[in-house]
Amino acid sequence: MTLSIGLQAALSGLSTTAEQTSVASRNVARAGDPNASRKIANLVSLPGGGVRLATVTRASNAALLDKMLGATSDAGTQRVIAQALDQLDQTNADPELDASPAALIAKLADAIQTYATAPQNSTAARSAVNAAVDLAQALNDATRVVQQVRAQADADMAAGVGEINALLTRFQTVNAEIVNGTRAGSDVTDYLDQRDQILAGLSEQVGVRTITRADNDMAIYTDGGVTLFDGGARAVTLAATPIYTAATTGNAVYVDGVPVTGNAGTMLSGSGRLTGLAAVRDSITVTYQTQLDEVARGLIGAFAESDQSAVPSLPDVPGLFTYAGAPAMPASASVLTGLAGSIRVNPSVDPAQGGDANLLRDGGISGNPAYVSNSSGAGGYSDRLQQLLDGLGANQAFDATAQVATSATVAGFAASSVAWLQSARQSASNEADYRDTLLQRSSDALSKETGVSLDEEMTLLLELERSYQASSRLITTIDNMLSALLAAVR
Amino acid sequence: MKTSFIATSSISSASRLSIMKLQAKLAEAQQEVVSGRHADVGLKLGYQTGQSVTLRQELTRLQTITDTNGLVSMRLDASQAALEGIADGAQTFLNQLLAARDGSSGPGVVAVQAEAGLATLTDALNTSIDGAHLFAGINADVKPLGAYFQSPPSAAQTAVTGAFQSAFGMTPSDPGVADIGVADMQAFLQGAFAGLFDEAAWSASWSSASDQNVRNRISSSEMIDASTNANEQAFRKLASAYTMVADLNVEALPGGTYKALIDEAAQIVSNAIQDLTALQAGLGTAQERVANANDHMAIQISVITTHIGALEAVDPAEASTRVAQLLTQIETAYAMTARLQQLSLLNYLPVK
Repeated sequence: MTLSIGLQAALSGLSTTAEQTSVASRNVARAGDPNASRKIANLVSLPGGGVRLATVTRASNAALLDKMLGATSDAGTQRVIAQALDQLDQTNADPELDASPAALIAKLADAIQTYATAPQNSTAARSAVNAAVDLAQALNDATRVVQQVRAQADADMAAGVGEINALLTRFQTVNAEIVNGTRAGSDVTDYLDQRDQILAGLSEQVGVRTITRADNDMAIYTDGGVTLFDGGARAVTLAATPIYTAATTGNAVYVDGVPVTGNAGTMLSGSGRLTGLAAVRDSITVTYQTQLDEVARGLIGAFAESDQSAVPSLPDVPGLFTYAGAPAMPASASVLTGLAGSIRVNPSVDPAQGGDANLLRDGGISGNPAYVSNSSGAGGYSDRLQQLLDGLGANQAFDATAQVATSATVAGFAASSVAWLQSARQSASNEADYRDTLLQRSSDALSKETGVSLDEEMTLLLELERSYQASSRLITTIDNMLSALLAAVR
Repeated sequence: MKTSFIATSSISSASRLSIMKLQAKLAEAQQEVVSGRHADVGLKLGYQTGQSVTLRQELTRLQTITDTNGLVSMRLDASQAALEGIADGAQTFLNQLLAARDGSSGPGVVAVQAEAGLATLTDALNTSIDGAHLFAGINADVKPLGAYFQSPPSAAQTAVTGAFQSAFGMTPSDPGVADIGVADMQAFLQGAFAGLFDEAAWSASWSSASDQNVRNRISSSEMIDASTNANEQAFRKLASAYTMVADLNVEALPGGTYKALIDEAAQIVSNAIQDLTALQAGLGTAQERVANANDHMAIQISVITTHIGALEAVDPAEASTRVAQLLTQIETAYAMTARLQQLSLLNYLPVK
C-alpha cells in the first residue's frame, strides 16, 4: 500500500510545517524583545517516511550570557558610585561660582583683609562676620548633603535587597518549571528565557556565578561565593538605617547569614549595585565627611584665641568659629567626626544674634577678658585681624584618614578636598562609561547570537510555504491517482 | 539552526543608543560654545580642579588687596595733603615771625596769626576719611586734638597757664608780665614750657591719638605703616611755637623778652619744618611701596587669570567645529534609521 504511505508522509509534512510555522510566528512576535531568544524547531524523520517535530530548543550561548551578567554587575557598581559622586559635587559646584568651602574660606580671608584696612568701619566688620556665617553654613549644608547621600544609599540598598528576594522567589518557580519540563521533555524554552532575564536582574544588584546541573537545574552564588539559590532561595537581609549622621555606621548586607558588603568578611561581593552603594555609604562619603570635618577643625584652630595676659596661663579657646565642645579646643591633627555639621559662628560676634562684630578686631569672642587683644579698644587696631590672616595662611596638621594633604593651610586643605572629589568623580565617570560600553557590547553580542532576525524568519516562512504547497500538491496528486485507480476498477 | 548573526532588535537598539549618545554630547558641546568653558569643569579636570580652586582663591585675594590698597593710597594721599598744608602754614608763620622780629608787624598781629596757625594745625591733624582720623594712630575713631581756645579752657591751655603761674607767680594775662626779664623767659620757654610738649605731657593734655600707627597689608607679604600720628615731634614743636606766641600775652611783654620769645618760636618752627619734611618723605616711601605692590599684583593677576583660562576654557573654534560635526553625525544617524526602517524583506516579497 505505498500510495497510502505517501499520503501519510505528505500529511506529516503538512502538520510539521504547521508546527514550524507556529514556532516562526512565536519568533516574529518577539522580535522586539531584547530578552527573547530565537526558538528552533528540531525535526526527526519517522521510520517509513514522514517527519515529526521532535523538540523545540533555543539559540543560546552560555559564555556570552556569563559575560553579559558580569558586565551588568560591573556597570551597576560604577553607575551608582558615579551618581553618588555627582550628588556630592553639589557641595562644591563649578569653581567659577565660588561656592565651595574652599572658595568661601578665601572670601572670608578677603573680608578680613578689607576689615583690617578699615578696622573702625563697622560695616566691614559685619561683612567679615557674614562671610564667616556663610562659610559655617556651607559646611553645615555640605554635611547634610553627605549624610543624605548616605541615607539614600542605605535606602537603595534596602530596595535592592527586596528586589533580590523577589527575584529569587520568582527564580524558584521558574527553575522548578524548567526542571519538571525538562524531565517531561516538554518545551521549556520560554521558561529558560525568563530565567535568563531574572539572572540579568539579579546580576544588576549583585555579582552572580551560576552552575547548571542535570535537568537544567541551576544554582546561583554571589561572586564572593555565598549561595543565593540552590534548590531553594536563601534569605538576603539588611537592617536598614533610616537616618544618618556623621557618626552613624551602616549595616552590612547578609546572604544566608554571611556578610557580602563591608570591610569584614571573606566572602564579600565584588560587583553589583549593592557593592557600589556600600562603597558610597561606608567609604566615599565617610572620607569626604572626614575632609569636611577637618576643614571645620582647621577653621576653629586658625581662629582660636590665646591668653593675652602678661603671663599667659589659660589654654587656647575657640574664637570666631565654635562648636559644641567649646571652650575646649578640638585635638590637633585628629578628626572630630561630625564637626562640620555643628561648626557655627560664635553668637557673641554675630550681630544677627545680638553679638558685637567688632570683637573680631578686638579679640575676646569667647567672653573672657583675658583673651582680649585690643585692651584699649582703639578703633584702628588691626593687629588681631592681621594675626587671623596669618593664622589662615599658616600650615596646620591634618588627619591622614582624610586621604588628602596632612600639612596645609585650611584653604589649601579645602582645595585639595575639592581635588580629591573631582578626581574620584572623573575616574568613576570614566569607569562607568567604560563599563556601560562593555555592557552594551556584550549584550549586543549576546543579542546577535541568540536574538530573532525578522529577515531570517521571513525566509524560513517562504520555505515553509513552499513545503506546505508541495505537500498539498502531493495529496492532490495521490488523490487523483487513487481516483484513477478506482475508476479503472469500476 | 541559527544562520544569521544579527538580530532585528540589536539593529534598532544600536541606532537608538548612538543617537542618544550623540545628543548628550551635542548638549555638552553647545554649552561649551556659549560659555567658553568646559561643560563640567570638575569632571573634565579631575584632580586639577584643586589647582583651579587654589588659583581662584589666590586671584580673589590679590583683587581684594588691590582694592584695599586703593583705600590705603587714598589715606596716604590725604595725609600728604594735610602735611603739605601744615608745612605751608609753618613756613608762612616763620615769615610772619621774622616780620614781627624786625618790627614790620606788631606783637598783636603776630599773636592773632599764631592763633589762626594753631587752629589750622588742629584742623589738619583732625582730617578724617571714611570715619577714620588719619592722624589718630590706631585710635582711629577718636578726634586726635581738641580746640586750644575754648570755654571752659581746654586741658592744654590750663596746663600752659598753670606752668606760667608756677614760673612767674602770675597768669599770662596779668599786667605784671611787663616785668619778666629775658633770661627768665628763656629759662621758662626752654624748661617748664617745653616740658608741656614732651610726649607724656602731650598725650595727657593735648592729644588723644595713639603712638601706634595704622599698619596695612599691601601685598601678600608686605606690611607698611600707612599713616603718621599727631604725637610726632614735628606737630608738638609746631603746637608749642604757635602756643607761645598766641597765648603768652606777647603784647604785654617787654621788648627784649618779646624778641627772645619770637626768636625761640622761629627756632622751633624751622626745626619743625625739617621734621615735617622727614614725615612727608616717610609717607612718600609708603605711597611708592603701595604703587609697586599694585603693579606687581596686577602682573600676578594677569598670570593667574591666564592659568585659570588655560585650565577651564575651551577653544571656541574647536567647540563650534565639534557642534557642527555632531550635527552632521546626528543627521546621518537619523537618515540611517529611516533607511533601516525600510530595509525589510517584507517590502520585497511578492504580495498575492
